[in-house]
Amino acid sequence: MTQLETISEKLGINVPWVNKGGVQWLEPGTVSIRELAKTMNELQARFITITAYQLPKDEGLKLEYHWDINGQLLGFPYKLASNSIESIYDLCEAVDWIEREIHEEYSIDFLGREYEPLLLRQGDTAGVNLREEVAK
Amino acid sequence: MSYKIPMGPYHPALEEPYKLDLICTGETVTDAKLHIGFNFRGIEHLAETRNYIQVIALMERVCGICSNIHTLTLCQAMEGLTTLTPPPRAQYIRVVMAELERLHSHVLWAGIAAKLMGFKTMFMTCFELREKVMDILQAISGNRVNYSMNRVGGVNRDIDDPQAVLKMIDALEAEMVRTVIPIFTTSSTARSRCKGIGVLTHEKAISCGVVGPVARASGVGQDIRKAAPYAAYGEMEFDVPVQPDGDVKARLLVRALEIMESCKILRQALTKLPPGELFIGDGKFDFTKMATTTSTSRVEAPRGEVMYSVSWKEGSRNPARVHVRTPTFAVMPAIRWMVLGARLADTPLIQASIDPCYSCTDR
Repeated sequence: MTQLETISEKLGINVPWVNKGGVQWLEPGTVSIRELAKTMNELQARFITITAYQLPKDEGLKLEYHWDINGQLLGFPYKLASNSIESIYDLCEAVDWIEREIHEEYSIDFLGREYEPLLLRQGDTAGVNLREEVAK
Repeated sequence: MSYKIPMGPYHPALEEPYKLDLICTGETVTDAKLHIGFNFRGIEHLAETRNYIQVIALMERVCGICSNIHTLTLCQAMEGLTTLTPPPRAQYIRVVMAELERLHSHVLWAGIAAKLMGFKTMFMTCFELREKVMDILQAISGNRVNYSMNRVGGVNRDIDDPQAVLKMIDALEAEMVRTVIPIFTTSSTARSRCKGIGVLTHEKAISCGVVGPVARASGVGQDIRKAAPYAAYGEMEFDVPVQPDGDVKARLLVRALEIMESCKILRQALTKLPPGELFIGDGKFDFTKMATTTSTSRVEAPRGEVMYSVSWKEGSRNPARVHVRTPTFAVMPAIRWMVLGARLADTPLIQASIDPCYSCTDR
């Protein structure tokens, strides 16, 4: 069994992996980000980053979580129904700064954690979508 | 009684602005908080307002030292969008530039580390060596900082005289072996300032997700050049230096050994430089017919793994999104664990030992 198959089996996902643009993508479906992070920890995958996307028009926001496993780059897209998602900071220390940065830039709430300002200075307002502010 | 000592954002021990709030009991650091964003430039957002030629020039400005790495990673990601494969000669030239930049970065860091150790003569020696590397970079590209070497589908300039570059590499390596490496590895001054301080344990290095020489100095043997080879790295023979101790000395040693490995790679790349074109096609790229709308690329920069995610809306001249994960962004939070229990006087050297790039972090 390949590593990718092991991940699919552990997560109980039946859809195939898609190799696109240098990444092995897997649609997580109903698997929560916390379940995914726990599985990645079990497999000793290395967290790399989260990429946030503001989708066109009123389609909302999307987060892509990336891990590395033996040089293979994995990607898991999460489309956000609201402006929030569970934090995985307690499971994966390495997400700290990127969760804080995304919170400050896109006003996405990572539930279950406390924030300290990362980029913002005293007097700035946290939780503002800077992209939308710039467009105004 | 504990008290807080702010270090930065503007401080003699820092090359660029960030702030470290050190909580101390006596002379011992018991906790630390990091603050960044003093010069945050919003380059990712700015990239969405640039076309596919302008965005390369823009991303070259993310970092002043590893500028070439940023264009290389971006161009590789853009090549992934269009399934373009640069010709072999371009792939080799990309390796040469990347390794010269690694030499430049590591020698510069060695100089700064020497300065923070109070070793001013070594600082001058390292900066003299750095000048030699910059001379090579200038001879190849015509520039000393932003080289403008990469383009989508290849490189902009050729290496006309590989033998001349090889001679310069020989001279540089001889000087490294004669002075820099023996002094850094055997002198009692360097040993007393570096051994056993700023330790990042193997377990903490993994949980913090640190990359590059900092990870390798804590026994984590990851290197994208080996794990997921790009450009012509698959054809190069080299070792990845790994040290287990996780202290400042280990970081110093890893970078010193990486200088030697870079010289080895440069010699192979310049000797085997294949003939042929510098870029594919006529230099015009049709972003209305893309193989995919999102592409990702990773490169082993001097400070560790850089990752670019590029998203493009079909038919648009501008990217829809460019996300950059720089190595310092991944490594810097670990400073908090390195300074715990350290003497206050050692903290400038400990934070410098990760070779931080605030320019990259405040992209």
